[in-house]
Amino acid sequence: MRRFQAGATLALLFVVLGVVAFPFYWMVLSSVTPREALFQPPYKFIRLDFSLGNYRELLFATEFARYFINSLIAAVGAIVLNVVAATLAGYGLTRFAFAGKKPFAFGTLFSYMFPPMLMAIPLYILFSALKMRNTYTGLILAHMAISLPLNIWLMWQYFQIVPQSLEEAAWVSGASRLRALRQVCLPSARPGILSVAIFSFALSWNDFTFAFILQTDRRMFTLPVGLASFVEQTGVHWGMVMAAAVLVSVPTFLLVFFLQRYLLTGLRATG
Amino acid sequence: MNPRAERRVWVLGTTGPALVFLVVVAYLPIAYAVALSFFKKTAFNPAMKWTGLDNYRFILEEPELWNAFGRSVVFTVGSVGLQLALGLVAALLLNRAFRGLNLVRSLFVLPYLLPSVVVALVFQWLLSPEYGVINQVLIQTGLVARPINFFGGLGTAMWAVIGMAGWQYGSFATLLILARLQAINPKLYEAAAVSGAGPLRAFWDVTLPALRTTLLVIALLRGIWMFNKFDSIWLVTHGGPLKHTETLPLYAYRLAFEEFDFGLAAAACSVMFVVLLGGAVIYFKLFDPTREIEVGR
Repeated sequence: MRRFQAGATLALLFVVLGVVAFPFYWMVLSSVTPREALFQPPYKFIRLDFSLGNYRELLFATEFARYFINSLIAAVGAIVLNVVAATLAGYGLTRFAFAGKKPFAFGTLFSYMFPPMLMAIPLYILFSALKMRNTYTGLILAHMAISLPLNIWLMWQYFQIVPQSLEEAAWVSGASRLRALRQVCLPSARPGILSVAIFSFALSWNDFTFAFILQTDRRMFTLPVGLASFVEQTGVHWGMVMAAAVLVSVPTFLLVFFLQRYLLTGLRATG
Repeated sequence: MNPRAERRVWVLGTTGPALVFLVVVAYLPIAYAVALSFFKKTAFNPAMKWTGLDNYRFILEEPELWNAFGRSVVFTVGSVGLQLALGLVAALLLNRAFRGLNLVRSLFVLPYLLPSVVVALVFQWLLSPEYGVINQVLIQTGLVARPINFFGGLGTAMWAVIGMAGWQYGSFATLLILARLQAINPKLYEAAAVSGAGPLRAFWDVTLPALRTTLLVIALLRGIWMFNKFDSIWLVTHGGPLKHTETLPLYAYRLAFEEFDFGLAAAACSVMFVVLLGGAVIYFKLFDPTREIEVGR
């Protein structure tokens, strides 16, 4: 009976792992399967006739490169603004006593729950009036709306564990506050800043809703919007679509495997 | 500069940018949407005209809003329930020391961090009626006679969307539950065993009470997000077939960008906002996450 139980548990574990892993496996396998083979089911689950034809087609026959650049510009913009705003806020909120911190904390956490659609419709109207649709600035600002609340929160918590005694020691030896901030405080806050950068990147890179609503000009599409447009046509080239899905997921894979320890700090709650 | 003035400059200089951004990009649009819901404004006639509660009267009297609301509830309850169930089963299975646990954990973070568009495309491909591998397996094993149109069938679309969301976010629940499981004091299980409790009894008396808060937090936060989820659903069904997966955010989208009535869309957004506010109040009341920071300094 015990043995049977252990066997059943193990079998169940493999089923769960299979359910989680199979979509990844199928995505990667399809991306390297030649187009003709994908139009001729039934498929084999293991195949060795790999081809990079889908990737070649994706990179040279579609606008993938342009979408990639757009996504990258938006993500870099979001990282820079988030890091600056969240780091400064984290420092100020932990180093000075002033009224209104509690409402600020509530306001930050509440805005973290705002769904993209709720902000995207009014932003569409406002940005139309301001001629900011289909611009990088507009998209970066929209992406700030989803990432800044979490990032302020992360840095607020992080600066609480950066000891103030280090800065105080720097002041005693004659450094100004600014200099102590730059040379003592910021270096010790580096892991927190890195998490902020990662989350800003991930939320911007993954965003579909804002880019879909605000960037209506094909030349301003980001990767998620561009990818979605690949399946709007009839006769979808699934091998190429899967190749695109693999390439868009690469940053996610890299993050998970190299930076897991930073991720866990902020994993608590992303949209 | 005297020290007080200098301090003020520092406080404003450090917290100002974040505050301005938050207000401008997050709060201002929502306030604008709420204001807009009292006006008539369409894409063809951009001039705003005050109409009071007309927009609300219109959408609240229409069955469409309530249908969408109901679908949001079904999608939320279904997908959050599935996430919790999958998360609990997977976490209990993984809660043991074995080689490769770290690798497995990495695998479980992946679905959650993937862009929604990737998940949507992969599931469309897996579940495609013509070329989908799932249908192939179902037919080959004789479970079904004809391929199932998962995302396109009236009876299946909502379930398929719920299943997809369960896959993507269930892994997240797994990680949180696993972390909590590993923090349970093993002595509690020993005590339960000594007092004669079997594994089921121990699960009921030790494991579940320890997980209560974690499960509640996941249910609440994920519930808030799932209720307002747009991208995953839109990408696989566009709200179809015949609006069978049109939840509230998709309804608001349709009003704004297919019927071009921004006033009505804003009213729908305000309804979403009220629901969100309710969820947030419950969350803050129950857990007060602001305890995590010191505000008294």
